[in-house]
Amino acid sequence: MSFLSLVGVEWGKIRRSKIFLILVLATIILWIPSILNADLNFGMQAEGISPENNFFIQGFMAMAWFLFPATMVVVTVLQIQTEKSGHGILKMLALPVSTAKLCMAKFVVLVSFSAIQFLMSVGMYYISIAIASHTQGYDFFLSPLFVCKEVGMMWLSSIPMLTFFWLLAVCIQTPVFSIGIGLASVVPSVLMINTKVWFAYPMAYPFFVITSEYGKLAANISTEQVRLIPWLPTAALITAVCLTISCIRFGQAERR
Amino acid sequence: MSSFVLERRKVKRTGFMPAFWGGGILAAAVPVVDMALRSEMYVGRNDSPVNILLDANWQMMSMLNILLIVAGACIMYHTEYADNAIQRMCTLPTKESAMFFGKTAVLITGSILLLVIEAVSVFCCSLYWFEPTADLYIEIFKNFGFFFLLMLPVILLSLVIASMSRNMWISLGIGVVCVFVATMIPTRNFLPTLFPFAMPFQRLGNHAADAVRNYAIAGAVETALIALLEVIILKVRRLFE
Repeated sequence: MSFLSLVGVEWGKIRRSKIFLILVLATIILWIPSILNADLNFGMQAEGISPENNFFIQGFMAMAWFLFPATMVVVTVLQIQTEKSGHGILKMLALPVSTAKLCMAKFVVLVSFSAIQFLMSVGMYYISIAIASHTQGYDFFLSPLFVCKEVGMMWLSSIPMLTFFWLLAVCIQTPVFSIGIGLASVVPSVLMINTKVWFAYPMAYPFFVITSEYGKLAANISTEQVRLIPWLPTAALITAVCLTISCIRFGQAERR
Repeated sequence: MSSFVLERRKVKRTGFMPAFWGGGILAAAVPVVDMALRSEMYVGRNDSPVNILLDANWQMMSMLNILLIVAGACIMYHTEYADNAIQRMCTLPTKESAMFFGKTAVLITGSILLLVIEAVSVFCCSLYWFEPTADLYIEIFKNFGFFFLLMLPVILLSLVIASMSRNMWISLGIGVVCVFVATMIPTRNFLPTLFPFAMPFQRLGNHAADAVRNYAIAGAVETALIALLEVIILKVRRLFE
């Protein structure tokens, strides 16, 4: 079985899971306060950021700090639980396919969910700036190239975090712990981005990327900038370690 | 009472209580770590130690509490829905709402555990880093009593959400979205902060006496209303099954 068709099978499994409804709901709720408080974007002289940049940054900051990581924890719960109900995992393990391949196929689905959520957020962002521009009589439009570049960076930087969540979901058999640790690990990211060791904490990466962009766009605010050297190797190492362990551990509890 | 004992037994092997111990210790570590790293920012402020500590750390501590409550509620109903145990529960000669209130009692016990661990941590931090004031005990008791009252609506509402869906990810997803909404609500206005998931972020030291009274009343009223809502939902759902 080719890897692509395995990914297709994993997609098919969660087609009727209603997870999209939750992701759409989350994305809509994310942008409602920005539309309602659009006038606040004009009072940012102290920070020295233009209203349209502020609208963009504040919305995606709110997403990156809590909503996005937390919904990704929910997606891992979905993937593990659909497999466990009705002992589906036992049937999957009986197939002549390597478990590591199965594990990676599921991880690819998780990564594509994260991409979908970012794409939906960009879509909702453009809808909400259209509404806000209309209500405020000010053009909040930003070039799609810039928006896609920033969002793409956030998405890429979120992959190590996803590997960590995937590791939790695969290795911890008691759901309350995998969910609890996943959600609890999101909370300190707001502190971690202000420390010197932010690059060692994958849950803070997307939030760090967007805050450092905030520092670039706001003339009077300086935030720590992305330094690729300690970051890229650390992130690659975390990703590799988490993925390797989850591939080894995948299905082991069921095979005993 | 019997349903409490029953529900308590059900969660025994789900890791529920260890998770609450772990979560409580994690949240209790927040003020300790904060004080250990930057006590110079806090010592010498013109306020009571408990207020200073909670002002700096309660946001994060309460967020951890709420997330744990949401996860705990999801797990409790997950054990029912997985393998259709709930169908057997529904055939028992007891009211379906008894199970809900049994679970509520278990979740309340877990939350009291959380608050006690956190109160001990705030108490120790006050003694170690600040000049102990005479009414330290009473102040901690009052603050955490207030937190407990405002936590009740969240406990009930997360159980209502968890009881409505067979699939854990749906209830967890809705819970997570609700927590997110709560973090977006500005804490200064009274009406929006009445959203149950936003209530536990309120602190005693932030409000005048009449606002505190209003919050306490709101907490009690919301608790009663949500409990009533669940009873109605269960009755209606039974009609359509």
